[in-house]
Amino acid sequence: MTRQETLNELKTVIAPYTINKELLSSINDETDLIRDLKINSANLVDIIIDAEAKYDIEIDYDSADKMTNVGTCIDVITEKLDQKK
Amino acid sequence: MTSTGNDIVALKAINVARTKEFKFYSKIIAAIEKDIFDKQDHGDLAFETFVWLLWSIKESAYKYLQRRMPELVFSPTKTLVQRIQFSASSLVQEFEGTGFEGKPVYKGTVSFGSDLLFFRSMISGEFIFSVVNGEDDFENTSWGIRLIDSADPADQSKQVRAFLIARLNKQLPGTNLQISKSPDGVPILLNGVEEIDIPISLAHHDHYVAYSFKVYGEGKPY
Repeated sequence: MTRQETLNELKTVIAPYTINKELLSSINDETDLIRDLKINSANLVDIIIDAEAKYDIEIDYDSADKMTNVGTCIDVITEKLDQKK
Repeated sequence: MTSTGNDIVALKAINVARTKEFKFYSKIIAAIEKDIFDKQDHGDLAFETFVWLLWSIKESAYKYLQRRMPELVFSPTKTLVQRIQFSASSLVQEFEGTGFEGKPVYKGTVSFGSDLLFFRSMISGEFIFSVVNGEDDFENTSWGIRLIDSADPADQSKQVRAFLIARLNKQLPGTNLQISKSPDGVPILLNGVEEIDIPISLAHHDHYVAYSFKVYGEGKPY
């Protein structure tokens, strides 16, 4: 899966937790989940759990802590998918 | 460096069934913290409320420490509630105050690395509110909780700022108070364009907003 494909799929994971859906159209690696997408921090665990379910991966605590922006989310998902191979 | 950190969780907005699932709560609380719930008398506190109580304490601790450590990453499972004294009551009658004397609070300690912090929390049927301090003394900590009519992030941000400014204006008459953010994302208080050394913390979740700030002496901001 390319980074762009993962980015597009990540939008569907994040979408339920952001009120302003139009913000998703312009996200990039630097987009911060809380500051830029206005996602409440209480929903960060939901995003991690939903990503685990979508990709059938397990995201450990250290990796979960890194998932604060779009780029690090893609990095963690890509790393965990690679480990499954 | 003096600091403050607070957080609010709107209980109507949490997913109760999901919170009870191990894969979810284990990303918020550590096994040693689950022991607190299992082994201590916690009255009629539901497990999902306990999980979000600890979340609010940990988030408050993160906000407290972030002022000193701007690069800090919030890590719920590395931020550990060490001790908790459960409240016998959940009847929250006052929504603004200074200190928590006589209030129905949960209190205890929370650690991150070598930092040991102290917390006070209040739980009503609608929300969980926590404040963290570096000392086990909250006489100098002012706080407020408010129900607002919108859950839109822009409205939350606007209304929590107006709520805090209204409180501070009573204590600092003649000032032109504004709230901004430092380059590290920490909220700061300005008089005009000049930063004032009063640590503030803002929180919002769903239809609730909350703040805390430090005061000294006879109710004057620190």
